[in-house]
Amino acid sequence: MKLAISLFLPMFLLNALAAGAADMALEAKLVWGTNDDKTDANCKPVDADLAGKLHGMFKWKNYYEITNRTAMMPLDQMCDLKMSDRCTLKLKNVGESRIEVHCIGQGKQVHEGAYMLAPTAWVVLGGNCTNNTAWFIGLRAVDDSKRAVTKN
Amino acid sequence: MKHDFEVKIQARLDGELSEQEARRMDEWIARDAEAGALAAELGRLKGVLSRNETAAAVPESREFYWSKIQREIQRMDRSVVAARGGWSWRRWAKPLAGLAALGCVLAIVRWETSPPAFDEISATGEGMEAITFHDQSAGMTVVWLQDSTPQVKKASDAPAAPISIPDPGESEVE
Repeated sequence: MKLAISLFLPMFLLNALAAGAADMALEAKLVWGTNDDKTDANCKPVDADLAGKLHGMFKWKNYYEITNRTAMMPLDQMCDLKMSDRCTLKLKNVGESRIEVHCIGQGKQVHEGAYMLAPTAWVVLGGNCTNNTAWFIGLRAVDDSKRAVTKN
Repeated sequence: MKHDFEVKIQARLDGELSEQEARRMDEWIARDAEAGALAAELGRLKGVLSRNETAAAVPESREFYWSKIQREIQRMDRSVVAARGGWSWRRWAKPLAGLAALGCVLAIVRWETSPPAFDEISATGEGMEAITFHDQSAGMTVVWLQDSTPQVKKASDAPAAPISIPDPGESEVE
């Protein structure tokens, strides 16, 4: 009996943890890539992790965080994140750490996709902007310990 | 004389043969002198034993004696059933261990085969196209959205994706 308990208890706990992990907390950042140096209060340098990854892939000298949103997404629930006046993300937690992303720009859907999110990996949507700049929307899951409520 | 015949003669004297076999043995004993002598000897020996055998007296009644045997048989049956049918975790240890091992293997396989962090389904708006980069070492997937009209592609100067597209964040950064 002790053997059975010692074998099944960890499996039971793992399953319970997996079931509880159906909700997903995520972080979304709107980032502006530019070669200019900005001192505007609205232009905060993006965190080192994402900045390093963007620097490794793109040419721009500076990456500024324009918006930072976090959301707790229950399973199979839609969530709207307003990233700017013209950009809204419609997100749906479809389970197993996957989300559906609908990127709405100026009232028009410019992209939709389904992605797996992890705390250590970024999913970034991006495109060119005016004056040789670029916009990026970075998405990643947030650790359980850092879960937050929806903030629009 | 063969030993089999000697045994048959003894069986004839003990009344263990069928009627037909007994008749044949009687005829053979009557014809064969050696067989007759052996039968006579065995007959005498049987008579001596039966007359001088000490009667074994059981110090209990017949019913009580057999009831003791019956109780002992029943006790042995119960112990066998208990040994076979009683709960014992050892009986379940191996199947449970097997199931647990199978569960672990399935969990590992599921973990290993879970899809990597890149898009499974994607679609862009009309006049748009998406280029997807997967940088596993950096832990980043980039979906670069661009206008698919040719004249705009030529005008672009971005190294990763030379494009010009509707900018969702334009109003914020200008």
